[in-house]
Amino acid sequence: MSKPSLAIIALITSQCASLVWAQSNATPQLPDGPLKAKVVNSCTECHDARIILQQRLTKASWAREVEKMTKWGAVVEPADRDFFIDYLSGHFSPDKPSYQAPRSTK
Amino acid sequence: MAFAGAATASVSACRALYFMDEEEAAPYIAGKSGMIVRSSRFLDLEMPREYVTSFITPLEHFFVRNHMHEPSTLDRAGWRLRVGGEVEKPLSLSLADLDQLQSHTIVNTLECAGNGRASIEPHVPGIQWQVGAVGTARFSGVRLADLLTRAGVKPAGQHVMFRGLDEVPGKVPPFIRSIPIEKARHPDTLVATHMNGVRLFKHHGFPARALIPGWVGAASCKWLAEVKVLDRPFEGNFMNPGYRLPNGSIRPGDSLTLENSHSLTTLAVKSLIVTPREAAKLRPGILQVRGVAWAGEADITGVDVSMDSGATWQPARLSRDRAPYAWRFWKHSLNLRRPGSYTIISRARDSQGRVQPASVSWNPGGYLNNVTPQVTIHVEA
Repeated sequence: MSKPSLAIIALITSQCASLVWAQSNATPQLPDGPLKAKVVNSCTECHDARIILQQRLTKASWAREVEKMTKWGAVVEPADRDFFIDYLSGHFSPDKPSYQAPRSTK
Repeated sequence: MAFAGAATASVSACRALYFMDEEEAAPYIAGKSGMIVRSSRFLDLEMPREYVTSFITPLEHFFVRNHMHEPSTLDRAGWRLRVGGEVEKPLSLSLADLDQLQSHTIVNTLECAGNGRASIEPHVPGIQWQVGAVGTARFSGVRLADLLTRAGVKPAGQHVMFRGLDEVPGKVPPFIRSIPIEKARHPDTLVATHMNGVRLFKHHGFPARALIPGWVGAASCKWLAEVKVLDRPFEGNFMNPGYRLPNGSIRPGDSLTLENSHSLTTLAVKSLIVTPREAAKLRPGILQVRGVAWAGEADITGVDVSMDSGATWQPARLSRDRAPYAWRFWKHSLNLRRPGSYTIISRARDSQGRVQPASVSWNPGGYLNNVTPQVTIHVEA
């Protein structure tokens, strides 16, 4: 086997190893959007993103959730409240396909 | 650009190798493999349907439901269980104290009240359990009644409250609930320290948890630190509006009040089809349909199977393994000689005369969804 071939295999192996490590320790991510950073800060302070990713709620239900979570300590600036609800109801509405949860590894 | 091309190819190869069927990375959770990770913080793990194969569920596959963070530290030597409130002699018991008391074992099917929430329409917020927030284990420990007798419950004592060591984020109300004194004094109600013959795992409530047999899982508080006898039901978020069902039907969006609802207690009568799986493709011949059924405090008296949308039912055979609060496996043979699509429905019946329904009323918590399950299969020539 030529040296370039060995180099490519070594590269692939290292890429795989680093990706597996990164993925196995990765946390689920919320979708991009204007308010993503604030939603991440406000919500994932207490729980992971999967709790949001799996919901399929109407805008009215999301409004109630934001109100409840704010009462329970989530920091949502009053000026951001409606944007939060728009972000959540836009991405996690009843018409969206179900969230596929991962399995735990051995 | 050969370098970039090689790197891209390696990433694709890795995804094909490790993430074939998943949108996300597979988390590692000590002692729990192959579980559906509904949430890793707080930890909520669902048992996949295909793991429902044994009367006693292995701990590795037993579901986990946490409302809060698990205790970050648990000092085995320093841990104490306090028994107080409306009692004559408050107690403070170490784990060694509990271990020296007479132990009892109850085989119990534990099910989260929200199991099946994912199928509720319109959707409701909460962990979107499909079918596997349920499992059966041998729980061992002391009778709660023995502790209450030692402490001497005053006549005013009507409810028994459990406080755990869960760590509460922000201003979230603590997960505290209470049960009526009659259930607390029942000889099958335990302060459990063991599960399937081994010391409780942390995920399941080490050093001790309540075990309220036949009732919704939320009644069986984990990481117990305090048992308090009250003169009335505990008033907190997880007693109201949490874990309540409307007394009648309500419209989506309506709220529950103390007046129009009641607290959840026993589990509903319910069956689950384990095999065949949805959309399975089979050859003509004999098909064994297998599943489980449970009914909280009641006994399963029968499971029926229908192939004609519920017009007619055939009794399934119940397995011999049984215990008062535990599920029963069942099976039924179908002779599917002709190619085509078939829909199989199962329906459980119990000793209280309850029959698993074809539909349930909507409720805002998405609790006790016990609609008859159905599986559609395809027989191909």
